[in-house]
Amino acid sequence: MATKILRHILRLPSSHFMYRRWESSNTKVAVYDPFANKPKKNKDTYLEAIKMFENQDNRRRGHVEFIYAALARMKEFGVHKDLQAYKALVDVLPKGKFIPSNIFQAEFMHYPKQQQCAVDLLEQMEDNKVMPDSELEQMLLNVFGKRGIPLRKFWRMLYWMPKFKNLSPWYLPDELPNDTLELAKMAIHRITSVDPTMKIEIWQTEEIEACIDKTWIVSAQSETQKILLSEQPPDEPLVVRGPYEVYLKEQVVTYFTLLGKVRPEHKDDFDQDDVSNLKKPSGIPGFIGQTTLPVVKCTVHEQDDGTIVAVCATGSSSRDSLLSWIRLLEKYDNSVLSNLPVIFTLTAPSNDVVVQETQPAAEDVKRVQN
Amino acid sequence: MNIARTLCVKQLNGISRTISRKIGFTATNYEATNAVQPKIQEEKFDFEDLQVIERTEQRKPKIPPFMKDVFVSVFQRDLLAYPEILDKEETESMEKRAETLDKVFQDKTKSKEERRNVLKSTKMYAAPVNWTRNGLAANQTESIRYLETVSPDFELAHELSDHWVALRALQHGLTAEQYAAVIDELSTGDATVTLCIKERIAERLAQPDFRTTATLDAQGVWRITGEKMCTRGDGFMLVLCKVEADHLKAFLVHPGATGVTFDGNFVHFQKTTGTPLSQIPNADLGKIFGISRLHAATLCRCQLKYAISKIVEYVKPRSFSGKPLAELSTIRAIVGESLLHVYASESTEYFTAGLIDGYVDPDAELEMAMCRNYINSRGLFSLINLLEIPALEQEEECKKIFDRMRILASGGESLDGINTFIALNGIHHAGKIMAEEIKQIRNPLMHPAFIIKKALSNRHQVKDDPKLTLHLSEHLHPTLKPASDQLEYCVLRMRFACETLMSRHGMEVSVAYMELKRLAEAATLILAMTSVLARASRAYCIGLRNAEIEMKLATCFVSKTISEVRQLILDIDNGEFLNHDRFKVEFGRKVLDTNTVLVERPTSRVFW
Repeated sequence: MATKILRHILRLPSSHFMYRRWESSNTKVAVYDPFANKPKKNKDTYLEAIKMFENQDNRRRGHVEFIYAALARMKEFGVHKDLQAYKALVDVLPKGKFIPSNIFQAEFMHYPKQQQCAVDLLEQMEDNKVMPDSELEQMLLNVFGKRGIPLRKFWRMLYWMPKFKNLSPWYLPDELPNDTLELAKMAIHRITSVDPTMKIEIWQTEEIEACIDKTWIVSAQSETQKILLSEQPPDEPLVVRGPYEVYLKEQVVTYFTLLGKVRPEHKDDFDQDDVSNLKKPSGIPGFIGQTTLPVVKCTVHEQDDGTIVAVCATGSSSRDSLLSWIRLLEKYDNSVLSNLPVIFTLTAPSNDVVVQETQPAAEDVKRVQN
Repeated sequence: MNIARTLCVKQLNGISRTISRKIGFTATNYEATNAVQPKIQEEKFDFEDLQVIERTEQRKPKIPPFMKDVFVSVFQRDLLAYPEILDKEETESMEKRAETLDKVFQDKTKSKEERRNVLKSTKMYAAPVNWTRNGLAANQTESIRYLETVSPDFELAHELSDHWVALRALQHGLTAEQYAAVIDELSTGDATVTLCIKERIAERLAQPDFRTTATLDAQGVWRITGEKMCTRGDGFMLVLCKVEADHLKAFLVHPGATGVTFDGNFVHFQKTTGTPLSQIPNADLGKIFGISRLHAATLCRCQLKYAISKIVEYVKPRSFSGKPLAELSTIRAIVGESLLHVYASESTEYFTAGLIDGYVDPDAELEMAMCRNYINSRGLFSLINLLEIPALEQEEECKKIFDRMRILASGGESLDGINTFIALNGIHHAGKIMAEEIKQIRNPLMHPAFIIKKALSNRHQVKDDPKLTLHLSEHLHPTLKPASDQLEYCVLRMRFACETLMSRHGMEVSVAYMELKRLAEAATLILAMTSVLARASRAYCIGLRNAEIEMKLATCFVSKTISEVRQLILDIDNGEFLNHDRFKVEFGRKVLDTNTVLVERPTSRVFW
């Protein structure tokens, strides 16, 4: 009989069995929310509220509900990336009580609601890329013992999070700057890192007399791109494309590209297997390479839809600021732009196409067809 | 006897030929007896006409290119007889002239002017010029010997080397009238010619690699515009220019020509007039200018020799722990190794000079490049090891030696450039011969029978144990049998390496630079091994003084070098992942992109 009961228990899905007990009581207890009426919402008041909860009742009744409520309010208080705040929340849990004392307790998730609460807390830490430390490990050990689910979660986090932390080849500081110009510089640096010779310039639209929109422009152009732009035939228009978005953690920066013509593809019509007439050098000591330049696509900037000859982000992302960008590009080493038509195909803010014959700056604003 | 030989020959076809060799019928050696005996061609001249009295050269008939053939594992065994170009009279006259030069150049008290004077009096400035033009009509063997003698004065030797190459180019390139107009001034040594070939690496994407251009103006005068690397701004200059997009032509710029400005290591031309060397075809330009590689190798080797003598002078009077410093085995080993390099380089240079001087219409471009390649790569490292012995004690002297070596090694062209030239020429030659085979290897499903045959025939090569079928030892002294077998192994591996490369990359092989570099190095070492063995064998056979040391040097050099060649070819066979090229290239790319060392400091931690 006992064997039958045990078999039945084992056959049941463990999650069903274990979670039912606390699922029914979930969110049914109305608790006092100490975070709601704080006049100042910062780290100090957040920690103060936690301290108040700890002090008001030695038995810490309703601590699970309190932690869930506190977790939900973290962003509001700006502590969602603060390890100390998470530690303070873990500290709310009573020590020793939840440590399993036999194998059955260890196996069948001792105090599942509390364990799940701690796992959720760790999950939130992970979502916010807050890396736990060994002190937190000690705290969790004191609360749930070494066989607790939160500990397993903690160890997995400690294994993976340092590996993921620096996985991106584009380094960003832990705290992003609040200044949009700095963010734009970072974004443009990231999207132009494909060419190591890229030069990033910061211009002010005020440099162009006729500009309406006074803002900054972060423009990136490499020497290669300048040359590609100088090869643009005068009858083929350049195209300003955008806005495109690039994400820096939670921040979004919009950027625009200036596209030119594409050189023909390298013709691959020779037989790869025929080695009967391989190329050989002239043999003159000191004479290397070619006397002419290739006329086919051979740089990273030459993509299928066009050659990217410059990239920018502006303070307002407006059409006028982009026009100023073209003027500034012309002013700084791209004199060829004075003879080239430029088409603005912006998906926002309007859906129209603007053709701009780029002439001296004073005249050109009048010619813009809105 | 002839009947008997014919009968034997008929029986020794195919496999029996190899068997007969193994059981020792050396008297009926089919290959050796039937080998093409060199026919001596004497130049005929008319005794009546004094104008045509010129030095006669006894050249053997044209032979296929030696080192190019090695790329397909074909070895001309006749060349294992080390070349003897000069007869008794010529040797004596050369040694006499060298002795005169030596007296002045070894004497440190002599000034540059005195040295110039002795060069003039011995007609050194007219060495390659014909007798009828009051020159010496010196061949390459003599030129190298003279250059060795002059080498203690580095600047003069360098100048002389450029001058000789330019004189040869002028002789072939100018019309008779143009040549007559300039040759007298050049022969006397009052003015010398500097080679202006190399340009700076393009600094912008829009610049082609080679930019100096010559255009014909309305008056029919050639005008040169551009910039060249050049260390001397006086005298004549021989400038290589592009004309009509991709056609190259050399121009002679006279001293004092308008539009020439000299700036440190660069000379600028601005619509400078030049005399075109129009008689010389584009293909021959490389052959003539290529001689400068041979000269550079000689000068490099002389610098290494000079460094050895300086180190000996330093070590001899000093002691360490109560014993002479010279007893330290590490020092002895370093000096010994340097000697090996000097011996190998010297053998290779004279072997190559012999190829150029001894045969009609020689194709020795590759060999000349290999001479330079060998001493550049080995010489520089050897020199660093040597100069570590006095460390900072003789800093000025060490700096001077090292700087000269560095200029010789990297001046004119880079080591990578030479390696690429060697490998591409070799692979071009191999490609012509192996094209059909490569096509089949690259399309295995279309040629299953061939692939099975290939797998069977290559089984020894795959195991790195080719069957030795060239029998090179028959052309060397019997005591060099093990060394000649090692050379044979290297030669036989070359075809396999070329086959591997071409079947792996197809037409793209010309941009597989890392693998081509290995191939070039392996080929260079094979030339060095060949020359060393041939020289030592000849020296021992004819009874030269210290011939037994030469034999030891040769054996040691070959057995030391075989492991390098083996590894180089194994690396080619293994491919980019096993030989780590893939990773090294990737690391290099990242460093070049970011200009950082990529990794964090060793003290960095992640705190948790």
